[in-house]
Parts: sequence; structure tokens; C-alpha cells
Amino acid sequence: MNTGLEKQRNILDYGLMSLWRRKTKNLSVLLVFALVIFLMSSFQFLTGALTDVAQQSLRLAPEITVQKMVAGRQEQIPISYGDKLQEIFGIRRVEPRVWGYHFSTTTGGNITMLGVSSFDPRLETALLHGRLPSGSSAGEVVLGQGVVRDLDLKGRRKFSFFRPELTQKTFTVTGEFKPESELLTADLMVMSIADSRDFFHISETYATDLLVTVANPAEIETIARKIAELLPDTRVVTRPQILKTYNAVFGWRSGFGSVCLLTGLAAFIILAWDKASGMTPEEKREIGILKLLGWQTSDVLAVRFYESFAVSFLALLLGCTLGYVHIAFFDGALFRPVMFGWSVITPHLHLVPVVRFGDVLLVICFTVLPYLAVTIIPAWRAASVPPDSAMR
Amino acid sequence: MLITCTDLLKTYSCEGRMLKAVDSANLTVSKGEFVTILGHSGSGKTTLLSLIGGLTRPDSGTVYIDGIENWQQSDSDLAVMRNRKIGFIFQFASLIPTLTVIENILLPLSFSKSPEGDRGYAMDLLDRVGLADRANNLPGQLSGGQQRRVAIARSFINRPEIILADEPTGDLDEATEDDILALFKEFNQNGVTFLVVTHNRDLAASQQSPRVFNMVQGVLA
Repeated sequence: MNTGLEKQRNILDYGLMSLWRRKTKNLSVLLVFALVIFLMSSFQFLTGALTDVAQQSLRLAPEITVQKMVAGRQEQIPISYGDKLQEIFGIRRVEPRVWGYHFSTTTGGNITMLGVSSFDPRLETALLHGRLPSGSSAGEVVLGQGVVRDLDLKGRRKFSFFRPELTQKTFTVTGEFKPESELLTADLMVMSIADSRDFFHISETYATDLLVTVANPAEIETIARKIAELLPDTRVVTRPQILKTYNAVFGWRSGFGSVCLLTGLAAFIILAWDKASGMTPEEKREIGILKLLGWQTSDVLAVRFYESFAVSFLALLLGCTLGYVHIAFFDGALFRPVMFGWSVITPHLHLVPVVRFGDVLLVICFTVLPYLAVTIIPAWRAASVPPDSAMR
Repeated sequence: MLITCTDLLKTYSCEGRMLKAVDSANLTVSKGEFVTILGHSGSGKTTLLSLIGGLTRPDSGTVYIDGIENWQQSDSDLAVMRNRKIGFIFQFASLIPTLTVIENILLPLSFSKSPEGDRGYAMDLLDRVGLADRANNLPGQLSGGQQRRVAIARSFINRPEIILADEPTGDLDEATEDDILALFKEFNQNGVTFLVVTHNRDLAASQQSPRVFNMVQGVLA
């Protein structure tokens, strides 16, 4: 065999044997390290999963939403604004939407009641079972899973809510949204616009907002700008903007959580540094003996590198696997409060972890690389001194 | 000449004063010679051995091993020289405590070939120092004298040209000492050069034609 390869094989052999000989210490380091990586990778995978769910769910969101603003607050928008919008070339359809919140006395949270004038047929694919409501004012609704849990219907299809002026309106459940869409539909109750107007007492000349569908999705931003110019008293929100907001929110929450975790990571790195830099006289003597026998500084570093790499690689593998399992089988239970927010009607959606190369690289940069540095640098310092002084 | 030392000087700082551990030492050793340097504790014998073995850099002066100046070599070349040409026997326990006796002996072979190929030779050396039955013990399970014998066996494993030994028989009982000196004699007769520092005057007398030097306060005479 090539001498260089043989030498590296012998060094690797020595490094692995050295790891095994100090198995109790190394196992402890491995477990703590894996725990740190598990926490960090969980955050990354959870953020990826939530962003993915948001992207999937927002496929059915309106391309452009137009809301009237008065004194910085949202007001009802006149339906006549829709007629003005039709003048803009490239707009295919403008539909009014009426929505509002109903306070749930059961949980103390708000249910979002959303009335639309027509249902996108693709919305059928978001249903777990049942059908979309008819366009009449018969009180037919589709419920998100959070509302289903909140109302605790136990198989009943009818329930009643009090209108703001305390008269009752009865609703009939015609379907439920899939749990996968809970991120957006958990607190949602979708009905016809007629039912929504009836419940909130909003006249037919007004709506809460207008939904704009464009002929060419590539033109969304251009048309949004034209709408803002045509109707300066409105706020124009596009689907990509909503998606960006979701990404920003999850990114911010993930970042916040990661910063908290960095404290733990820093503690681990300091511990590793303390362990490695405070090399025992035996360890220093071992380096001295190795140099005495003809090992070079680079060989001593190679041994320490192989040892540290083996520990950190195993910790990375173990930590990332646990992170994946945490998201895939426990739906990120540890970080749900941080990532899902503190809403009363919280989504219970099942998450599929998204493992991106960039996320794993980030975890490696924040965990493996610092660990390699804090273990190799002290060994390098010890190996750089003459062997006889290392042995004194 | 196999070893040539010229005007070697090594000083250490102690409580603000510079102490000359080795003071203008000149020494030449031919291939196959057995050189003994006698001296009391603190006379600079060990420092001189470290300078010759390339373990410590001198303040001034030169050390040539087989025509090559130690400190003109790169770190890697110096390491290769230590590995291939020299066998070290030091007075302190120089075994890796977590390796077994046989693994300690095979350790210097890590860079030249597969250590397993020389396991038979290692066992033979272990037998020569009377420890064949302790091959799989850890150093901690051996006495100080036994550890010294393992270090002696290890120094021969790479078939070196030079043995640098610091008080090689320090911890040994009389019978074992005789065995070790006989082993030295045999290797010396086979061409291995010995440079031994000791305060044991009998050690030199046990060899065939030793050259003996005295070292007093860093000065070699």
C-alpha cells in the first residue's frame, strides 16, 4: 500500500483507538454535543417545514387583496371600487369578500368567519371530507380543524352563533379542511358571502376587501402597483408579499429561538474549550512521547482531528436524526409554542420536515466547526513545543 | 562520524539567572561505538542527550547526525530522523498509559509500515527484556522497572542506528540490569551506536570497549 495512505490509516487507527480508550469521557461529550445539534437542527427543520406548509397552503390564497384604509385603519370597501379596478388591463376578475371575527366563549379565542362570493374549485382539494358551501344564505360552512376542536361538535352538523346584536344564526357543517392546511385554516370558518353579510350585518354595497385575480401571474406586482395608483386610499397586498411575511415571521421566530439556543451552544463550546485547552499533564506527556517517537506536529493534529471529527460527525448524525424524528413524529412539540405563536386556537397540523443542504450547513458551521477548532487549537499549541518540554 | 557535536550551548533561565545546562560541548561518535557520559544529577547529561536527539534546540553550536545538521532540517525531516535513526530510552516513564505493552512497542512503526508486520519482532524484543507474558498488560499494571524494560524494547523496534539512553538501568534490579546490559552489548556488537548517560560507573565497564566522558556543570570532559 502507498506509504502515505498507510501512515494515515495508522494515524486514523490510533485516533479511533484513543477515542475508544476514553470512551466514557467521549460518550459524554458526544451526547451533550448531539443534544445541542438536535435543538438547533429541530429549529431549522421546523422552520423549513412551516415555510413549506405555508407555500403549499398559499397556493389557494388570492393573488391580490385590496383593502380600504381610513386613518391607518382598515374600513369596509365600497363594491364600486371593483368596477374601477376592471378598467386596469390584465385583471381577470374582482370579487368581494366579507370576513370578521367571532369571539369563542369556549376557548376565549377568535374564530375567523370568511364569506366569499365564489369558491375556487381547487379549494375542494383542501377538504378532508364533505363539500364546499353553496352560494345561498342557508348557513352552510366549512370548518378548519381548530374550530372543529373548539366547537366540540361530536358528530353534530348544526350549531349556532349569536350575531353582534344577540340574535342567533344557525350554521350547517358541510365539510372540514385537511389538517395539513391548519397553518392557515385552523381558526377558519368559510361560508358564502351572503351568510357572512347576514351574520355581520354588512350591506351589499360594501365588503371587507376585494380579491383580484390577474390573467398573467407574472404581472401580479405590476398590477398591484397600478391598483395602488388608481386607488390611493387602499392597501394592496399580493400573494408573494403574504408568503414573504410568513417566511419573515418564521425566520424571525426561528432566529429568536436560535439566539436562545446559542447560549447553550456557547456554554458547550466553552466547556469543550476548557476540556481541550486544559489538557491534563498525561495528555501533554502523550503528545511529547509521540513526538519523541517521530510523530510530527501535523500527525498529532491529524489524530486530534480524526478524534474530533468522529465525535462531531456522530453527534451531527445523531442530532440531525433526532431533530428529524422530533419534527416528523412529534410535530416539533418542544418548539411549537415559539414557532406557532401563542394564539388560543393553535394549529395542530402534522409537519413533514424539510431538510435543506443550507440548513445542515448552517448547523455544521455553528456546531461542528467551532468544536473542531476548540479541540484542535490546544493540541496544536501542545504539539508545537519541543517534545522534551511537553514531557516535563 | 555518525554524531558530531560542536560548541553546543544550552542555557535555561532560573530565578532571573541564566544557567548553562550544556556549556561548549564538543563530541564525536563513530558508528558502532559505545559512549558513556558519567555525571551527577543536574550536570546537564539529559539536556545534552535532548540536543543530540533533536528534541531541544541549542542556543548555539551544531549537531550533525550522519552528516546532516539537526536544526537545518524541517520539522518533518527531523521527526523522520528521530523515527528512523534513533531509539530513545528516557529516565521517566515514557509509555502511553492507555496502550498495551505490545501496542507501545509497535507505536514507532506507525509511519514506516504496517505495525502488525513486525509483531513477531516486537514479541522477540519483549521476550529479551523478560516481559513476553505481559504483552497485553497496560503500563499501569507494571512496575517502574518493567515499564523501563518495555521502553528499552520499544527503542529497538525500528532497528535504529543510534540508541540514546538516559539512565537506562535506573529502576532495575541487579539481575535484570545484567540482562539489559547484555542486550546492549549484543546490539552494539551488531553495529548499533550507543550514547548512554548515567551515574552508574559499572555500566560502562560491562561493555566491550566503551569511551567514557565525564560531565560536570554542563562541561564535557
